[in-house]
Amino acid sequence: MNMVSLDKKKFGSFILELSAEYAVYAPGKTGGKTEFIPVESEDEIDLKTLVTDLSPKGIFFPHSEVLYEYDKEGIRVPEKEAGKPIAVWGMRGCDSRSLLMLNKVFGSAIQMPDNKNFQDPYWKEKYDSSVIFGTGCNEPLSTCFCNWFEGGPHSSQGMDVFVADVGDRFLMEPVTDKGRAVLDKMSSFTDSTEEDKTAAAQLASEALGGMDEPMDVNGLGEMLNKKYDEPVWEDISAKCINCGACTFSCPTCHCYDIQDEGKGSSGKRIRIWDSCMFPIFTMEASGHNPRALSSQRVRQRVMHKYSYFPEKYGEFLCTGCGRCVTVCPVNLDIREVLKRINEYKKQGITNG
Amino acid sequence: MGNYCIPQEMRVERIGIEDPARTLRTYDLSFVNQADREAFNYLPGQFCELSIPGKGESPFGIASSPTEEGFLRFTVNRTGSVTNEIHYLRNGDLIGLRGPLGNWYPVEDMKGMNILIIGGGFAFTTLRSLLIYLIDSRDHYKDITVIYGARNPDLFIYKDEIAMWKQRDDIQMHLTIDKPVDGWDEKTGFVPAVVEEVAPVPDNTMAIVCGPPVMIKYTLPVLTKLGFSDEMIYTSLERRMKCGIGKCGRCNIGSKYICIDGPVFSMAELKNIPETV
Repeated sequence: MNMVSLDKKKFGSFILELSAEYAVYAPGKTGGKTEFIPVESEDEIDLKTLVTDLSPKGIFFPHSEVLYEYDKEGIRVPEKEAGKPIAVWGMRGCDSRSLLMLNKVFGSAIQMPDNKNFQDPYWKEKYDSSVIFGTGCNEPLSTCFCNWFEGGPHSSQGMDVFVADVGDRFLMEPVTDKGRAVLDKMSSFTDSTEEDKTAAAQLASEALGGMDEPMDVNGLGEMLNKKYDEPVWEDISAKCINCGACTFSCPTCHCYDIQDEGKGSSGKRIRIWDSCMFPIFTMEASGHNPRALSSQRVRQRVMHKYSYFPEKYGEFLCTGCGRCVTVCPVNLDIREVLKRINEYKKQGITNG
Repeated sequence: MGNYCIPQEMRVERIGIEDPARTLRTYDLSFVNQADREAFNYLPGQFCELSIPGKGESPFGIASSPTEEGFLRFTVNRTGSVTNEIHYLRNGDLIGLRGPLGNWYPVEDMKGMNILIIGGGFAFTTLRSLLIYLIDSRDHYKDITVIYGARNPDLFIYKDEIAMWKQRDDIQMHLTIDKPVDGWDEKTGFVPAVVEEVAPVPDNTMAIVCGPPVMIKYTLPVLTKLGFSDEMIYTSLERRMKCGIGKCGRCNIGSKYICIDGPVFSMAELKNIPETV
């Protein structure tokens, strides 16, 4: 199957059809904020919001997740209901790319010298069977900087089906075999027209053209490594209050804590999102803390995203979604941080 | 695909008290399930997460050697909530364990070499594992020198075994304490100074260093000064860990995670990494 078109009047029946086989998630409102929520009908879906307040990483890597339950008898991994696989509608290119990155951490085998691989069953169970319908962004926000990286407003990386909003219709293009198979089984579509394809291409180029000039990120990791010990980090982090909002809203931040919740001899061991912004993150029982200073923690977050992760996994741990720019209560803009460090002593680090 | 988040059950078989203040205790654990026992293969330098339901998990170096069959040994310093709870355990009690995790001392590469083991305080755990392993294949290794320091004589762990190792003519044991104490007839002074005094010549000698950060920090330059190349110095590092499998994100030094890229690193590997010790 090639591209198909979906008349927006038939969007409701498309969602119903998808819901028959999948647990469908889509952008929606919870208490005035936007995030990806389970939906069963068209009415619950927010088609307007570009970047949801919370990223969709929580669909596959929940804010808190039970690893197992324990009591006097021993340990049990909670039995999963034989539920439907997950389908996501309306994921933007920044967020679908983030899933590829998270899959490198949770889903890919880390080959240890003793042949263990440490894949994460909780992630794989949800992610491997999922199908992602992603939507191109026709009017990127001022906080968007996906064009700094390998993404872009009409990038389809990490999607199974790419959807372009061409006015009265959605133009759908299968990206993976899985996406193709899902579209093949559904009936709400009409054949795509040349007109829709031309419109989609036009929207893609206009969207990209409307974005601010990207910073050149070639050699970004090496540049940061070189300036690791420079006092510029203290200036940059001076206004950071270590609230962690950037890490919680980030689609690629994945650091977590493991905590026991229970009473007496029974309870649950859960994993829960954590943040490198918190001093306790690295605090040892002895009281020693290798990242006791705010400047060390801000530096860690920047280094992890733009130096350490690329060194380990071959790409930046940032998709330019701009959420951290939007939510930061003290207006610490990651784009400005990177530019500032880049400019700092640009003529070369000299003594004194 | 295994679930590396789930601990296996171990039973406390023997509890040893290492110091008069009773803050250091050694636990020998046996496998409750035969299948777990058969699947558990490790080498000196690896660690495990010990797990107490309701309290959490903490990482501990394995103090037993794979050549000692049937049990795993851990020495636990009472410091936080998990170690406190471990100190309440009695013989026969159950405890959770995940592992073995991390990499190990290069015991294969060390064959045919002289070995210099440098340890400090209660970090001697994985060094005990290594020493027992070397003794159990003694023919494969040349001269073995051990330099072990503690703040005072009470704080050496494995005192009975130290006495036995001192009796052997195929191990050079050097013990040192920080300040002179009545009745102490071994060395006095910090580990780096003793290393400078008694270390063997660097030719064909591999140095293994494990101890508190401050000891590592001042010992490594001494080894370099004595002529040990970066490839012939190994150290074992520690950070707060949770998952132990390279995902939860807190134990990094630079781009390396202590839990999967370490805990054992050569000096050559650490050369360009910030925040190591």
